[in-house]
Amino acid sequence: MYRIRFHGRGGQGMKTASRLLGAAFFLEGFAVQDAPRYGAERRGAPIFAYVRAGKSPIFERGIILHPDLVIVADDSLVPVPAAGVMAGLTDRTVLLISTTETADEWRRRLHIHSAILTLPAPREVEDRLELRYVGAECAGAAACLTGHISKKKLERAILGELEGKPQKIIHRNIEMASEGYDRMADHKGLVQEGTLPSAKAYTPPAWIEMPFEAARISSPTIHAGLTSIKVRTGLWRTMRPVIDHRHCRKCWWVCSSSCPDGAISVNEEGAPGIDYDHCKGCLTCVSVCPSHAIKAIPEHQAAAAEEES
Amino acid sequence: MTETAFKHMRDLPSTHLLGTGTPACAGCGGLQAIHQIYDVLGKNTVFVNAAGCMTLLSVYPFTPFRGSWLYTAMASAPAGAQGIRDALDILIEQKRIDKNEDLQVVVLTGDGSAYGMGLSATSSAMERKLDFIYLCYDNEGYGNTGQQYSDATPHAAKTSTSTGPGGYPGFKKDLFSIWAAHKPAYVATVIGAESLDLARKIQKARDIEGPCMIISLSPCPTGWDFDPSLTAKVGKLAVRTGIWPLKEYENGNITHTRKPAKRLPVEAYLNLQGRFKHLFEPKRDEKMLADIQTQVDAYWAKVAS
Repeated sequence: MYRIRFHGRGGQGMKTASRLLGAAFFLEGFAVQDAPRYGAERRGAPIFAYVRAGKSPIFERGIILHPDLVIVADDSLVPVPAAGVMAGLTDRTVLLISTTETADEWRRRLHIHSAILTLPAPREVEDRLELRYVGAECAGAAACLTGHISKKKLERAILGELEGKPQKIIHRNIEMASEGYDRMADHKGLVQEGTLPSAKAYTPPAWIEMPFEAARISSPTIHAGLTSIKVRTGLWRTMRPVIDHRHCRKCWWVCSSSCPDGAISVNEEGAPGIDYDHCKGCLTCVSVCPSHAIKAIPEHQAAAAEEES
Repeated sequence: MTETAFKHMRDLPSTHLLGTGTPACAGCGGLQAIHQIYDVLGKNTVFVNAAGCMTLLSVYPFTPFRGSWLYTAMASAPAGAQGIRDALDILIEQKRIDKNEDLQVVVLTGDGSAYGMGLSATSSAMERKLDFIYLCYDNEGYGNTGQQYSDATPHAAKTSTSTGPGGYPGFKKDLFSIWAAHKPAYVATVIGAESLDLARKIQKARDIEGPCMIISLSPCPTGWDFDPSLTAKVGKLAVRTGIWPLKEYENGNITHTRKPAKRLPVEAYLNLQGRFKHLFEPKRDEKMLADIQTQVDAYWAKVAS
């Protein structure tokens, strides 16, 4: 049975990707499960979807813990623990990343023995949420990597799944899926099916005594207010607003009131500051700033610059 | 008549009570209003939340509020508010809490509840002269479940259940007038993009005893299909085109707090939103655009007369 996981952000078409691949597998005579799993069902938030496909009925349920293929539509998610991209990867897992970097660069960064393949992400696109068809490209690439899905069935799957959508959108999905498929031509069939779990082979885990943590550490105090600040919604951001304090006129009441999340605070001198742990990157502040002192820069560039400094 | 504490933009609160890290979508126009409203009301506020987008704010174990929050079914938030108000009154009467520990009870619902399912319970709460604030964040559809149409959906807007060529065939219900017809203590429309107007009205609602009813038009990037950075712009255009009149009802009188001197054409507001895209592409729907403009013109002609 194949176990395949797609990782991306809300808005990049991960749910659709899993459905396209699932439908294509089905048309090739496989039993299939495909489903998205949302953390926060929000634009920009880390999201994953998964597909199981096998020649016999599938009894496994739930999230995929040991994937045969992991596809990452947005490479900025790889280092984010909450996105869980690296969860359960073994030496036989194939990792496919849509990225502006090379596969060698990712091998160097990740220190893993899994096969790493890449799909080229367009460098000119600053905001990766604009990549609306990256999901279709990933689904096409995955179809080829399994070696069981013909391009014809893939196209039929897309026509079936997107029925009723405007022709232009369907056409673009087919085009991108086909492109992804062709890019993996040299690696056709690289992904191998994982073994089925056997009830006989199951051995219960040895018990490990875990001492209780102090309640204060192990769970947030629910009787207190403001616990939402423990949630790092800054992870949703693909574009980062940056205040140029030389041009800021300190009219904080504009940006600070407009920020939907209240993520802009004001210091004693009246200068606004953005809380990047929680800013979701909506860029309302950029659009309301009267002196144009707030600029948006791609998050992956900002993060890279931070790492260097 | 209370004197406003908010004469200038710089009088607005510079610290925020609502916690960050909520699951609201990036660019949420509802949250934009709610965090400003919370700052004016202060931390001694208890929210009674009917099912809707904002019930996601307080999902165990996380909450952005500083105090208590009660979750009710869609139709019964004002009944929940009545229970809390009564409990507080009894605790004060029995001297189990001090009068300055009293809380402001605020109902928080979306338009699905306010304009539709919860209207009956709201009507009775006004009739009983319940001392509470009702805050409706109106994103003109059932946003949390995928933007199905609601009684607040405007004419011609596409929703996930109004997918025909003309969009939603119905008309947005005039909830302001329905509420005002009950003669409650106060009714007002606000929008997060007009912070000063909002702060003045919320201060009034805070200080006036009795039912104070607020509708906040809440530009919704997800449901209305526009870029999240445009939330404030869409909000300002809703006011400048005259589509969202900022007004208040008090002592039997309706006052418009913002009369756009020169109203912009409605299409300036409509063409930013994907839900109205069919009015512009592939061909401009001149008749529909004229119809919408005529309705807005007729409204303001009445205001002037």
